[in-house]
Amino acid sequence: MRHTRMISLAAMVASSGLVLTACGSAGGGPASGGDSKLSDDKVVLGLLNDQSGVYKDLSGPNSKVAIEMAIADYKAKYGDDAVAKNIEIVMADHQNKPDIANTKAQEMYDRDKADIILDVPTSSAALAVATQAKAKKKLHINVGAATTALTGKSCNKYTFHWAYDTYMLANGTGTVLVGEGGKNWSIVYPDYAFGQDMTKSFTAAVEKGGGTVQQSIATPFPNDNFATFITKAESSKPDVIGIMAAGGDLVNFVKQYNQAGLQGKTTLAVGLMFITDIHTLGVEQFAGTTFTDAWYWNMDAESKAWADKFKEKTNTRPSFAHAGNYSAALQYLEAIQEAGTDGSDDVVAKLEGKKVNDVFLRNGEIRAGDHRVLHDAYLVKVKDKANVKEEWDYEEIIKTIPAAEAFNPTVSADCKM
Amino acid sequence: MTEFLQYTLQGLAAGGFYALAALGLAVIFGVLGVVNFSHGACYMLGAMVAALLLQHFDLGFWPALVIVPVIMFFFGVLVERLLVQWLLRLDPLYNFLLTFGLTLLTVDVMKRQFGVSSLKYQVPAGLEGRFTIGSVDLSVYQLFAAAFAVVICLAVWMILTKTRVGMIVRAATEDAERSRALGINVARWVTPVFGFGIALAGLAGVLAAPYRAINADMGSNFIIILFAIVVIGGLGSILGAVVAGFLVGLVEAYGQGYYGQLSQVLIFVLMAAVVLIRPAGLFGREEVA
Amino acid sequence: MSAQLTDTVRVETAASAAPERRLNPFVRAALLVVALLVVLALPWYIYPPVAMDILAWGLFAISVDLLLGFTGLLSFGHAAFWGMSAYTTGYIATQVGVPFPVAILGGTLAAMLIAIPTGYLAVRRTGIYFAMVTLAFAQMLYFIANQASDITGGENGLQGIPKTFFGIELVETDSFYFYYAALPIILLGAFIAWRTVSSPFGRVLLAIRDNPARARALGYDVERYKIMVFVISAGIAGLAGGVFSVSHGFASLQELVWTTSGKVVLMTVLGGIGTLWGGPLGAAVVVLLEDQLASSGFNGIGIITGAIFIIIVLLFRKGIWGTAADFIERIRSGMASRGRGDA
Repeated sequence: MRHTRMISLAAMVASSGLVLTACGSAGGGPASGGDSKLSDDKVVLGLLNDQSGVYKDLSGPNSKVAIEMAIADYKAKYGDDAVAKNIEIVMADHQNKPDIANTKAQEMYDRDKADIILDVPTSSAALAVATQAKAKKKLHINVGAATTALTGKSCNKYTFHWAYDTYMLANGTGTVLVGEGGKNWSIVYPDYAFGQDMTKSFTAAVEKGGGTVQQSIATPFPNDNFATFITKAESSKPDVIGIMAAGGDLVNFVKQYNQAGLQGKTTLAVGLMFITDIHTLGVEQFAGTTFTDAWYWNMDAESKAWADKFKEKTNTRPSFAHAGNYSAALQYLEAIQEAGTDGSDDVVAKLEGKKVNDVFLRNGEIRAGDHRVLHDAYLVKVKDKANVKEEWDYEEIIKTIPAAEAFNPTVSADCKM
Repeated sequence: MTEFLQYTLQGLAAGGFYALAALGLAVIFGVLGVVNFSHGACYMLGAMVAALLLQHFDLGFWPALVIVPVIMFFFGVLVERLLVQWLLRLDPLYNFLLTFGLTLLTVDVMKRQFGVSSLKYQVPAGLEGRFTIGSVDLSVYQLFAAAFAVVICLAVWMILTKTRVGMIVRAATEDAERSRALGINVARWVTPVFGFGIALAGLAGVLAAPYRAINADMGSNFIIILFAIVVIGGLGSILGAVVAGFLVGLVEAYGQGYYGQLSQVLIFVLMAAVVLIRPAGLFGREEVA
Repeated sequence: MSAQLTDTVRVETAASAAPERRLNPFVRAALLVVALLVVLALPWYIYPPVAMDILAWGLFAISVDLLLGFTGLLSFGHAAFWGMSAYTTGYIATQVGVPFPVAILGGTLAAMLIAIPTGYLAVRRTGIYFAMVTLAFAQMLYFIANQASDITGGENGLQGIPKTFFGIELVETDSFYFYYAALPIILLGAFIAWRTVSSPFGRVLLAIRDNPARARALGYDVERYKIMVFVISAGIAGLAGGVFSVSHGFASLQELVWTTSGKVVLMTVLGGIGTLWGGPLGAAVVVLLEDQLASSGFNGIGIITGAIFIIIVLLFRKGIWGTAADFIERIRSGMASRGRGDA
């Protein structure tokens, strides 16, 4: 009884609010933009990422520098012919909290007139922003998050997944290591969605290659004490131990793994690792570890040249996320150039199915079916300290995984655009 | 059986960290009636300071083992003089909230200053490798850390039982009103005891440094487990904190060994059981309700 | 055991059993009208999703105040109830597809349900113990939710919660109209809190807070009263958590983590303990501050909130509302005495 009354009250209040806004919004019609094909006469790029937490070094404030480089390159290329002359960047810190990401994304789209939101690490935050992109019919190109839900259950017309995902990480490392003789595996994984996904993909990849996963050991998350788990993982005398923890927990594991005297004895395959992890913990702790990377700054001359430019501005070397943000911003602007407008639907049409090559995307293709961006990935091994020639020179590429094999070859059945 | 022995040793080793840090929490609570929420942050500071000493002054693990507790002692004295002392006469909830605020502040200051990725730290020379008897093996460092924690706990116990200072502190812990009535000047010991408790947290941090990820967030999960420990042991009890520290270490290790991911939930189940059966904790005395 | 650990909690709360401290009915009615007008006007001046956040957090803070200010129990694990409801609401809304107020009601019931055993265990201890036990239970729920990713989505969160509302498309898609549709739920929660404290039941709570031994001697079952108010408080937190998750369209682990419990206690203390009004005020300050800071390029929100916490606890223990009320009281009594002097 009370409930129905409450609802009718709500409806009443809502309808009165409706009348009020109708009056209120009459004043501010859409700004007449002359002959420009751009909404509000400008293109606004929103950068929404973690500027204070665990992904600060991975992308953070330096991604803004990468995006500025993309804008400069775009302007240099097209000069006076550029469709987007007036380009702005707005930036916010989501602190890895999905509710803040959600509110900030709405503000960026509505208030700051952002045409696109870039980056967004942390999967819960990324999925929230993808939902907003769909609702507001504005673009979101995700660089920083790993979840395959972006191209699965939560996929939509306006969301693109640019750099990497859990399938790529697991599949590359699993397949290649089995091929090189690592037949018997123990997998240690934190028991939450990321760890569970990774373990599933890893197991599939290992078994596809003819190897076996002897045991998968679940650990709590977060967790600082891995001693018993390491003992257990070792007990089946595996060729490879796979660890699916990330961030601080990965560091905990690796430290304790090395102390158990296993470094160099059993191959350690890491599910998700960033160059920033190696940098801060020291290359000696990770030496010999294998993982899949989406890009490496010193992998060829083109990347090196870009990384040098990046270093001039930031005094540090770029991570794959920086290069990914550069690439995403650049290709977005290129699509505007082709479409002649920044209207979302036109830009999406230009992006879908496009084959791309730039400093980050090699043999890249934007798959139309789920907006997964396919590109070459790299299986890398962390160098021994003796072979490190300069700061950030940590990775040695063992194998380039071609774009067609790097990512899930089929579009997920959950994805309904 | 060897498995069980292995887990037991690993549990005792992990329990050492807990016991050491919980001891500091218990001493502070005993004398000041303050539940120090920032204890986890102080543990983090201990590890961070050790890493920074290495990075900037090339001071390794052994010097850090002495220097860091001293630094943390003075940090504790500063916190007590500047902040905590003003609220001592009020309800303990205020200092709980104050130290919570201090935790937020400290963690974010450290993040801004030193980033969020883990800092470098190595196992000290001479403590690398593993230690094997039969089929049981442990890393040498882990054994060392556990033994060291036990020695410190024993030393603190000796100080508390055998020295005059210890008697005073213990009397205050057991019954502050009565010791005041007996003419013991508890107030004189408040500041050094707070500093001492913080120093113990810092020491636990140094011990953790070669073994765990050193970053600003490392204390945030730790403090919750510490709370569970002192609830299990009984807040006012020094012996309770140490015993419960090792107990929780064991529960965690058996949990990891036999129930995998549930190990941390088990700690809270243990806590619930204790609250249900002995609300004052295993070694605490019943409240006058 | 030290003397501070007695049953009695001596926080500086504005809630008092003595009638003379109460404002007169006209002032209270006027305040109520002003508050309603502010709440109705809020999304015109503040970005609607942010305005909704203020209300949801405000109600959440009220639920904490109900325990802290009126019963003397500091719950440092209220995120458990807010989060439990957020997830359950989301689960019902996505699976069953009922209108969102119904889903929120379901979430609220779930929050109250888990509050019964938690409350039963936690009220066995008081004071600082109560805070630590509630904190530990909330953390346990966090671990469980993180692992049960089949239901909760783990760190992806439970995404895509619809704002189903009888097919009224404006409410379902536009956050401005959603605000007005969800407002009655918030007001209902605030009303329940107000009824609870101003009823005979509420007076028993105050009596228990001020002198539990005496209340027990008078024949009140102290533990039962505490469990009851704990469950009511969990229900109010549940209403708030449900609105929050529907408003954002997802429930995430952030809802369960202990810093969320800390944040709502901060809001309560900042606004003024034992005032009920204070919670929403504190919520408004904290939410707006976070919103501003997120875009400001200043990384380190904890430095600001931590400092606020320290300053409030050291210097303004009565919070914004309490300090303001004192100030007005002083002016009034000053005027009154001067008036007498003139005559």
